[in-house]
Amino acid sequence: MLTAFVNINSSAQVRVTFDVVSAETGSEEGAPVSAGPNPIAPEIKELAWGAGSFIVFLFFMRLFLVPKVRKGMASRYESIQADHEYASATRDGAKQDVARYESAVAEIRSEASRRLEAARQTLDKERQEKVAQVNAQIAQRRAAAEAEVAAARAAAQSQIVTAVGAVTTRATQIAVGVSPDAAIVSRSVQQAMEGNRS
Amino acid sequence: MIINSILSFEFPPINELLRWKDVVPGLNKVGLIAIAAALIGTLLFLSAARKDPKVAPKGTRNLAEVSVEFIENNIIMQTMGRDGLGWTPFLLTLFLFVYLCNMPGIIPFIQMPATARMAIPMFLAVLVWVVFNVQGIKHQGFFGYFKSVLFPPGVPKALYILVTPIEFISTLIVRPFSLAVRLFANMLAGHLLLVIFALLSEAMFQARDKILIPIGVLPFFMLVFLTGFEVLVAFLQAYIFTILAAVILPARYIQNTKNK
Repeated sequence: MLTAFVNINSSAQVRVTFDVVSAETGSEEGAPVSAGPNPIAPEIKELAWGAGSFIVFLFFMRLFLVPKVRKGMASRYESIQADHEYASATRDGAKQDVARYESAVAEIRSEASRRLEAARQTLDKERQEKVAQVNAQIAQRRAAAEAEVAAARAAAQSQIVTAVGAVTTRATQIAVGVSPDAAIVSRSVQQAMEGNRS
Repeated sequence: MIINSILSFEFPPINELLRWKDVVPGLNKVGLIAIAAALIGTLLFLSAARKDPKVAPKGTRNLAEVSVEFIENNIIMQTMGRDGLGWTPFLLTLFLFVYLCNMPGIIPFIQMPATARMAIPMFLAVLVWVVFNVQGIKHQGFFGYFKSVLFPPGVPKALYILVTPIEFISTLIVRPFSLAVRLFANMLAGHLLLVIFALLSEAMFQARDKILIPIGVLPFFMLVFLTGFEVLVAFLQAYIFTILAAVILPARYIQNTKNK
């Protein structure tokens, strides 16, 4: 609602007219009044209602409302501050736990490494022992085999000497008619075999 | 012809725009706005105070807390420092009351800022003046206070002939007067501007001369712009009134501390 009423009287002229009402004669409720004192001067009733409203408002605000709202704000700030401090302490505790965990992990890693190294050394030592033991057994078996080979060779050689001696004795007996001394034949065969071997 | 038409526009007498007939005997629109401002402010804080302060604020609680923090951070801490936080209820009430009295100037079907009448700005300015004088007298004693006001320390005695009347007029007379007139004149000017452009727009839109109708868009745009501007002015004037009150109030404390 505008604070004035406008009518257009003619095509070329804009005329604004008002129903002139005064506080004394007031014909329309709620409508502005034209008559009265200096419009800048304060009206007593406006002063009274304005002052009364403000004082009542101030009374409630000063004694009840603002302190209660402010108290609520302060309690929430304190609560937030406490929560913040608790969160900060929890974070510090968690950081310490993490540090402890990392320290424990490092220690365990070091211990594991140490044990691994010891196990590796033990294993290496055992391996070397086993290898040495196996090598000894191999050497022993090789020596035994060589002895067997030597024995077999000696036996074979003796048999060959005997056989060759017998063949030689028989061949000589047939050829010459005299049987040669067996010891000489045997020694000669042996010397011949050894000479061939060398 | 257009110029003649515009020039023939008759602006109503100022009393037609400012003086309102009583709604009930002894209570007119300005009084109603003042009552509504106090009621809205009280209900806002009443609603805020009844809500659980432990949970995150929203709605009226948020609005109330924002206004409290605005007064404390942007007015009190800027002018008085931490010692002035005790003035929060007074300055907050002052700010809310002035703002809520200013806002009806742009609310449709009301369109009258209560502060565009001299009564409320004058009362509030006198109240601030009384409060700061009472505080001064309370802290420095009657003679000590007026001595500190009229005879500022550090001024050569010969200059008191000039300085004392100036201080008397500026501190005890002009200060409340300027505080009241600043608010009243700004809101009255805004109200008159809105009325002028509203009347001009309506007159042009209803003119029988069809050439005036499109031209009526110009004052209408100005009306829309000024309405938006008045939203800013309503807040700004409430802020200025409150911050000037806050500037005036601690002056006595500072002088008191310096004297001690």
